[in-house]
Amino acid sequence: MGEIISIDRLLKSASALQTGTAPWAGALREQGREKFSRLGIPDRRRESWKYSDLALALTKAPKGTSVSRVPLALDGSYLAVFENGVFDAARSKLPADCIVPLAAVLADSASPFAKTLGQINGAEQTGHAILGLNTARMEEGFVLRIPKGETLSNPLHIRFNWPAEETADVDGRHVRLLVELEEGAEATILETHRGTPGFATVVTELRLAQTAKLTHVRIDQLGGASRQTAITLGDVSKAAQYKGFYLSEGGHFCRHEALFELTGDNANVEIDGAFLVTGESHCDNTTVITHAAPHTTSRQAFRGVLSGSSKSAYQGCVKVRPEAQKTNAYQMSRALLLSREARIATKPELEIFADDVKCSHGATAGELDMDALFFLRTRGIPEEEARAMLVEAFLQEALDTIERADLRDVAAGTITDWLSLHATEVTHAG
Amino acid sequence: MLEIEDLHVSVQDKNILKGLSLTVPAGEVHAIMGPNGAGKSTTSYTLAGREGYEVTSGAIRFKGEDFVDLPPEERAAKGMFLAFQSPIEIPGVTSMNFLKTAVNAQARSRGEKEPTAVEFLKMLREAAKKLNVTEDMLRRPLNVGFSGGEKKRNEVLQMTLLKPSLAVLDETDSGLDIDALRLVAEGVNALRCPERSFLVITHYQRLLDYIEPDVVHILAGGRIVKSGDKTLARQLEDQGYDAVIGQAA
Ligand SMILES: Nc1ncnc2c1ncn2[C@@H]1O[C@H](COP(=O)(O)OP(=O)(O)OP(=O)(O)O)[C@@H](O)[C@H]1O
Ligand SMILES: [Mg+2]
Repeated sequence: MGEIISIDRLLKSASALQTGTAPWAGALREQGREKFSRLGIPDRRRESWKYSDLALALTKAPKGTSVSRVPLALDGSYLAVFENGVFDAARSKLPADCIVPLAAVLADSASPFAKTLGQINGAEQTGHAILGLNTARMEEGFVLRIPKGETLSNPLHIRFNWPAEETADVDGRHVRLLVELEEGAEATILETHRGTPGFATVVTELRLAQTAKLTHVRIDQLGGASRQTAITLGDVSKAAQYKGFYLSEGGHFCRHEALFELTGDNANVEIDGAFLVTGESHCDNTTVITHAAPHTTSRQAFRGVLSGSSKSAYQGCVKVRPEAQKTNAYQMSRALLLSREARIATKPELEIFADDVKCSHGATAGELDMDALFFLRTRGIPEEEARAMLVEAFLQEALDTIERADLRDVAAGTITDWLSLHATEVTHAG
Repeated sequence: MLEIEDLHVSVQDKNILKGLSLTVPAGEVHAIMGPNGAGKSTTSYTLAGREGYEVTSGAIRFKGEDFVDLPPEERAAKGMFLAFQSPIEIPGVTSMNFLKTAVNAQARSRGEKEPTAVEFLKMLREAAKKLNVTEDMLRRPLNVGFSGGEKKRNEVLQMTLLKPSLAVLDETDSGLDIDALRLVAEGVNALRCPERSFLVITHYQRLLDYIEPDVVHILAGGRIVKSGDKTLARQLEDQGYDAVIGQAA
């Protein structure tokens, strides 16, 4: 408690990592190191971190506790396991020939990924301290590449097992993933995080070539004492499609950024999300969707259930470049406030530099519908059950956007589990 | 079945029911008619136990038991049902799921066995078919995007499955087309039996052609001002409230 987490401390092992690293990778890490030491640990003075003061969260002792949960598993999927941020190939069940561990990539001076790793979405990376830190410290992770026209036969479940109990490991674990879908390739990824990282950064780069299709469901089920910043970067080219669903239960500090650029005509990005937070938890969803080509479409819709004295933020930014005519962008945030102490900050931003575009956005925050509650009770449904039903119903509309039934079931199961675990907070108004 | 005695109810400090008395014996159908704003829906909400409907004096007894302090779900479990004048939409809950939850909840609180999934489906399909509620409607979120008439049929479907002892139908006929009106009336008539009573709130004589009431009450200014047999409804239709109530006063 009260310990000062310095930039130097967070970077301390970065130089040791350089042994055995190919020159291109060494240079990339060095850029990251430079960026992070220049920008420092983000705190509330930085506009986009106003609701998520990482510097403070790293020094403040976390309050939350962890409880055991129903397993997160997807039948028949491939599995990539990370144990406290370390890739555990032995316990994984990987698809043949398409995954290369990050260490092997970084050691290979002729790696085909030298041209792509860390190069995505250049514009958004400028000024991003955490990307710098993750790049400087990246060691664990992998590259997944699906060749042209191929489809990954089963979903890949990337399972992050963070420590079960709170740890003092604030120096951090930094994981880097790169997913490349070549032209027309398709894949489905389930990414789950469970446990209590002392401090983790996870950066996932998604490169979707022409007409590629990626479905990505990520579930943050972190303990109340966890600190995590995850960044999903996407480059979505011509007629390619990214469909994401992000479910988060927050943590002591829990932020996920989705930074996507639509770089080819008819590219499409759809992100739906739900977050359920209670107690003292923090949850931040930040998105920047940049339309950089004509006829591109994007959708972002988040639903939050807020109880206890939790603090959440949704910052959704849509940028439309001058060349991106006929863009269609939709953004919506809905919050269900179950306690008077819970807070949500919603910040929609539109930066539109093309004239022929359709952009709509909206935000609502409200309590449970009392008429609906009364109606359910007149049908004999007890008050607590009726309240839980309405909360589930609110989230159901987000779940309905997940097309695959097996993935929807995993997400729905997480929600049901959370609701039963927090029945008291959910079913008692106040 | 139901005894209301000198009931005074206020909503947001406004007195709306002012000494309403009404007795509905088991097996009977009573109709309530009355001008807009008379307090008909207030009566039905009060019977269902809505929050904010404060009983300042008087009594409600249901099957001989004092009802005033019971929460809505317990009234439902004891056999009270209200078909809403404006049915509620519940996004995110399919009709099917809602109905199953309600049927199970009532069975549980009465200490009865919950129907199995197969039994429930059979029951539901039969009832839905009679009311012309399609499979598709059952799979959609409850009442969301439904037409006015479809919503009213949904209320009657709920009543059919929940088999209440007393059903209060608040203008269930409003918004129904002629065929739907007949279906709804048939649904009600099929449930008529010596152990079950109905309180039918309506503005129109036509419903009462299909569901023949034992007694017709006129509610005005928060009280029952006149009661009579079914001919009272026709008299109202012919002469209007002013003439009929004026006569009573
Ligand atoms: N929440 C409220 N606050 C204040 N007044 C109310 C409230 N609810 C109802 N009222 C008033 O109570 C009176 C009775 O309303 P009620 O809905 O019971 O009438 P009704 O007989 O059902 O009329 P209708 O035939 O139009 O359905 C009306 O004057 C109405 O404005
Ligand atoms: Mg009314």
